Amino acid sequence: MIEFAVDTTAEGVGVVTPKGRLNMASARGLKEVLDGLVAGGTSRIVVDLAETTFLDSSGLGALIAGLKSARQAGGDLRVARPTEAVTTVFKLTNLDRVLRPRDTVEGAFDA
Amino acid sequence: MPEPTIPGPDADDERRIELSAPATPEMMQMVHAVLEQLWANHEDVAMVDRIRFETAVIEVLGNIVEHAYRIESGGSERRFDVRLTATDDALIASFGDDGMPASIDLSDVVMPDEEAESGRGLALAMAAVDEISYDRSAGRNHWRLTCVRQRG
Repeated sequence: MIEFAVDTTAEGVGVVTPKGRLNMASARGLKEVLDGLVAGGTSRIVVDLAETTFLDSSGLGALIAGLKSARQAGGDLRVARPTEAVTTVFKLTNLDRVLRPRDTVEGAFDA
Repeated sequence: MPEPTIPGPDADDERRIELSAPATPEMMQMVHAVLEQLWANHEDVAMVDRIRFETAVIEVLGNIVEHAYRIESGGSERRFDVRLTATDDALIASFGDDGMPASIDLSDVVMPDEEAESGRGLALAMAAVDEISYDRSAGRNHWRLTCVRQRG
């Protein structure tokens, strides 16, 4: 099953790392983690997708929901280091613009 | 009325994996595991084809689990079966389930806009593989997916 590592950087950016498959069974967990960060005042979030081995439409929905709530709170959600499986799904759903992958977690909020 | 799309038995058993199970979210993990077995049997399948096929299989299964409610037997247990086949040319998945008719017209399926938080499942499945068909016959839903393999 999936695990979510959650960390906050010195700059106050929340870093969430889903480890495993983001699918129908685990998407709700991601949504809860993202909602929890925003509710706790962390509205700049990076989702590090380097260990996400699979992504389905439920996982995408959780990312989009997180993106919207982070923006509503004055921040943003960015994605970094996607695996090939994740990149493929972003492209197939035309979400590679709104979820533009960043090369590093540290630099995700640089530009 | 079209015939059920599940193909008949063939002699080459290691090319094919079958699973019959309750249509519950927990079964997703089992289908991922079955796909891992298929790739172990077919190491020559390109990564891009594995990703496309697995994406479509999981989206269709998600649709079956989410939307199919069994008419008979008091709605207690719905079941699905899936047959996954790898040939030199294509990856094929055939699903059958005893849920309610899916009332889906695949020609109407469109990708929602980027703000949408749901409704991408079948559009993603259709974008991922080359062919998807759905029909209802003999009180069962039948899905068939075909992913034409990339030429090495």
